[in-house]
Amino acid sequence: MDDVTLAVESGEVLGFLGPNGAGKTTTIRMLAGMIAPTKGYAIVAGHRTDRDIEQLHEVVGMLTQTPGLYDRLSARRNLEYFASFYPSIEPQSQVAKYLKIMGLWERRDSKVGTLSKGMKQRLALARALVHEPKVLFLDEPTAGLDPEAAGEVRRLIRTLREEGRTIFLSTHNLSEAEVVCSRIAVIHTRLLALDTPEQLRRRFFRRQIIVQLEALDAQVMEIVKRLPFVQDVREEGSQLILELTDSERNRPELVKAIVEAGGRVIGVSEKQYPLEDVYLKLIREEGQNES
Amino acid sequence: MSRRRIRSILLKEWTLLFTDLNSAFLITLVPFLIVGQGILYIWLAAKFAGGSMLTTQVFQTALQKLVVAIPGVAQLPANEQLLVLLLSQFNFFLLLIPTMIAISVATFSIVEEKLSGSLEALLATPVKTWELLLGKALAGAIPALVVTWLSAGVFLVVVSELGWGHLTGFVVTAGWFLTLFLLTPAVAVLSFMLGVTGSSRAKDARSAQNTVLVIILPVLALIGIQITGIIWFTPSLILVLALVIGIADFITLRTAVRLFRRESIVVQWR
Repeated sequence: MDDVTLAVESGEVLGFLGPNGAGKTTTIRMLAGMIAPTKGYAIVAGHRTDRDIEQLHEVVGMLTQTPGLYDRLSARRNLEYFASFYPSIEPQSQVAKYLKIMGLWERRDSKVGTLSKGMKQRLALARALVHEPKVLFLDEPTAGLDPEAAGEVRRLIRTLREEGRTIFLSTHNLSEAEVVCSRIAVIHTRLLALDTPEQLRRRFFRRQIIVQLEALDAQVMEIVKRLPFVQDVREEGSQLILELTDSERNRPELVKAIVEAGGRVIGVSEKQYPLEDVYLKLIREEGQNES
Repeated sequence: MSRRRIRSILLKEWTLLFTDLNSAFLITLVPFLIVGQGILYIWLAAKFAGGSMLTTQVFQTALQKLVVAIPGVAQLPANEQLLVLLLSQFNFFLLLIPTMIAISVATFSIVEEKLSGSLEALLATPVKTWELLLGKALAGAIPALVVTWLSAGVFLVVVSELGWGHLTGFVVTAGWFLTLFLLTPAVAVLSFMLGVTGSSRAKDARSAQNTVLVIILPVLALIGIQITGIIWFTPSLILVLALVIGIADFITLRTAVRLFRRESIVVQWR
């Protein structure tokens, strides 16, 4: 990683996006105090990553890429083992709490080797949370899970977000990042972009308004083209795709003009560019810069 | 806090150890193999070679040193002198038990966790390297020590059953107790510490096993040195030896902590 500088607010969910080898896991490991950077440091929950390692490990939780659980121990024993390393908690009550939250209470005495992949991942998430960390690092939490199990893990992450936890989420899944994260950092050995999904879209794509009509005729098209605030317009079937000077303020005037020209408006919406388009644009630009 | 963490590591390791049939079988079997072999050799030597073995220069030298250490042996017939000489080696022979168990158990301890990914999760907790290594070493050394002591008891029972009970007074001396309760724990901890250290550095259990072989050779040398009469290990000499190995335990732990590369474990083992 090279020259990564970012600030994350308490209670924020920051997504790390990037291709394989981009440094997502490395960044998370550096922030969690598991590996040291060659230069620089971060302050996580008030602790410096280059010198306060022990204190740092007490306030961060880490979900590693592989669950890394002991197959021959029960779910409860696995959690109790990891919980016992934290001085500030009472392991048994915390373990019971998180087994219940993760929906594993009924399987608490089952050997981990007998649990499904999704259950193991939920148990690993419980392990990362059992000491009530201030900051949570999740390294590809849904990788390798079936859609149902992945959905369950995402639901749990959203719950954690609602609870106000600060979360760093490394993922390849763009829709997951969009649903879960308040801001997204696109990295490729350096920080390429950092913003909310909405702002990232606006940065790379102009806002476009879609007007869905019952039928599109030439008269409506002509009127719309002549409107002073319409910067660009094109038709797609019975839809008009427009770029306006001010897409919020100009919208009522636009609809009024279309209706007066005899058009029957079914709906008005904003064109949503998938985050994937933003991501691919950034990565391609980076590739071109490198070459 | 360290005590709580080490206790937790011990309990976890023991649960894993005794739910693994191979390890449990090994811990049970090795002592019986060692005790059985030792007694068989002594029985064969006494039955087929008898007192004539004592005429060799090597045994003569050893016997002279034994008589100096335990004068009552001089009053025994030649074949019983030989038995006392051979039975007296048994406390060193028992040292092989913890080292053999360490080769199989300790060498897997870290490698296994690297492969399963649990070590990465563990390294994200506040557990200190020395707590982890000491916990793992003690988790193997304590059961190994218990079975060694049990084996010593079994040995004395078998010796009595073979009709040599009247000789135990010459064998179970202060040196015997010092070896069992000071030297054996020190050797057990050293063996497991070396095994865990090897395991933390190695890519697989097989290469880790080579590090524990380092301790087996000196144990065999102890037996060789005493039985050939080069040195007779008196209680004070055993005490010094136990202290030296105890210091080696401490140095090995410190070295193991220094050699334990958290970063390379996290980065290389995925």
